[in-house]
Amino acid sequence: MEIRPILSAMFRNKLGAILIATQIAVTLAIICNGAFIVYKRYQTMNRPTGMDIENIFAITSEGIGSNHNARAVAAQDLEVIRAIPGVIAASNASSVPLSGSGWGETMQTTLDDNAPTTGTGVYMMSDQAIETLGVNLISGRNFTPDEMLYRDENSGQIPNVIMITQALSDQLFPDENETALGKTVFFDSRPIEVIGIIEHMHGSWVTWDALAQVSIIPVLTLSNQTRYMIRTEPGMRDQVMPQVEEALANVNSQRILRQLRSLEEFAARSYAGDNTIAVVMMTVIVLLVIITAMGIIGLVSFLVNQRTKQIGTRRALGAQKFHVIRYFLVENWLITTIGLSVGLVLTILLNMYLVEHFEMPRLDRIYLPIGLVAIWCLGFIAALGPARKAAHVSPAIATRTV
Amino acid sequence: MLKMSNISKIFRTRLIETHALRSFNLTVNDGEFIAVTGPSGSGKTTFLNIAGLLEDFDTGQYMLDGEDISGLPDKSRSKLRNEKIGFIFQSFNLIPDLNIFDNVDVPLRYRDMGAGERKDRIESALENVGLSSRAKHLPAELSGGQQQRVAIARALAGSPRFLLADEPTGNLDSLMARQVMELLESINDQGVTIIMVTHDPELARRAHRNIYLLDGQISDLEEVTQLPLNQNQSQSQRADHAAI
Repeated sequence: MEIRPILSAMFRNKLGAILIATQIAVTLAIICNGAFIVYKRYQTMNRPTGMDIENIFAITSEGIGSNHNARAVAAQDLEVIRAIPGVIAASNASSVPLSGSGWGETMQTTLDDNAPTTGTGVYMMSDQAIETLGVNLISGRNFTPDEMLYRDENSGQIPNVIMITQALSDQLFPDENETALGKTVFFDSRPIEVIGIIEHMHGSWVTWDALAQVSIIPVLTLSNQTRYMIRTEPGMRDQVMPQVEEALANVNSQRILRQLRSLEEFAARSYAGDNTIAVVMMTVIVLLVIITAMGIIGLVSFLVNQRTKQIGTRRALGAQKFHVIRYFLVENWLITTIGLSVGLVLTILLNMYLVEHFEMPRLDRIYLPIGLVAIWCLGFIAALGPARKAAHVSPAIATRTV
Repeated sequence: MLKMSNISKIFRTRLIETHALRSFNLTVNDGEFIAVTGPSGSGKTTFLNIAGLLEDFDTGQYMLDGEDISGLPDKSRSKLRNEKIGFIFQSFNLIPDLNIFDNVDVPLRYRDMGAGERKDRIESALENVGLSSRAKHLPAELSGGQQQRVAIARALAGSPRFLLADEPTGNLDSLMARQVMELLESINDQGVTIIMVTHDPELARRAHRNIYLLDGQISDLEEVTQLPLNQNQSQSQRADHAAI
């Protein structure tokens, strides 16, 4: 291998090499941190919600006029919806999980002023809440119809029972051997019995640390506006959605039906920011990779053109095509490696800056070797074309006056 | 021995065909020093390129040390060039970014040769041309004559059987040209066969045999050196003339 003479020649003509090495260093730093950001965003967007998100949708009914009987309308609407083929379950819902809109409340295990409180996202639903959300009830029981509380819009009344997620139970009772099931906890300072533990469920605010701390209470608030959540058989959601809208319109025309949206659409809207960042970052990464590859191709092509006579001379002196290709690949590998060495430091410094100023998590170590190998491969592939072109330089060039 | 029989080479463009060599015949015996002269465009460089396996020919047969060159793959031709042929170019063709030591090392690196042996050969070759003390210098730091001596050291380091020189003194003043010529003669005395293309009739006269090329063929105006030859060389030269 000709590493020493290549290095020696490179240091005598270092400007092009320095520029490309710098570009490679910056590329590694941005690619590693960018890919990490993209991964984290997609990881956030694709984390399990605990719900049957693909088969759930919601619709809001807004009654018109002062004679609106919310309880009767809701009962009739749910009966109509549940009768539509393909519907597994339907429930009223005070708000839609993953929508960015909802009701939060504080909970605690005692009324002691010094007792720690924890936040929870609260959903007022019917006795079909579990089936409608597709969540897994791991212990306890579901609501019964007679536990439903029908309350006025301005009433602060709460029911006697509540179902909470495991995450909320763990938060309330951190002791490993203790569970919230069957216990009375204090919901907005009022006692309520935990009758069921849900394995996992996401609430409304996707950026909230306590997203998985969710409570469901059996309540229908009597107002002109009622929201329904409907779960369908797998794959039937899009077919059932217009049928539900039509059925509700037929059963009572004195209302406005709006916000007919799938749970996936609600989630997509909530995660739009994350998605945009991920897409922008991926675009930047792809562009950077292309620009770096073009830079390498440009430099190696320039060197090949600049050294045509030198290549011919080497060929005349006995270099095989393979030797010429190897020369340029090794030279490029050295430039890339120098760039990557600087890039490693730059990557860590950039990550430290992002951690400090943008609350980004610390870069997973695995991104560094992956980034190194990826850019080594990129450099190799980019340099291969010009290097092969160099190998085709005729040895007869050596005797020509160029 | 180098033997070319009915070698033809045509350069083609879309519009014209140029016959660089036409049914060219030449035999060069071991140890000979041949000067090839002729006007520009007569085919001297093409002949040298074909003799040095730098270029293919269209028809004919070329035997180098008993081996038929026709149809040899690029890899074998490169290996033959590396092991049997040394080149000296008019403009030296040293690699400007490498020091003298590394320049001489270039052809040796294409052989499976250990670093120690390469170093010995380089040092010996540089000593032969009187440039041992300049090993760490860059080509640009040497005079033209010194650069050509480095090129000769590079050609000799691989112990070639044939030395092909393309206008080796073309870029040198007369004093340096004479020194380079003396060096070539001493190399030839060591048994290396030399074929030298030159425009300089003075230098050509110092070779054992002159080949005069005209329109891609050896001309009848061929000149024979006036320098005294030893008995063996005279015999081989005469045999060659008969073959031409």
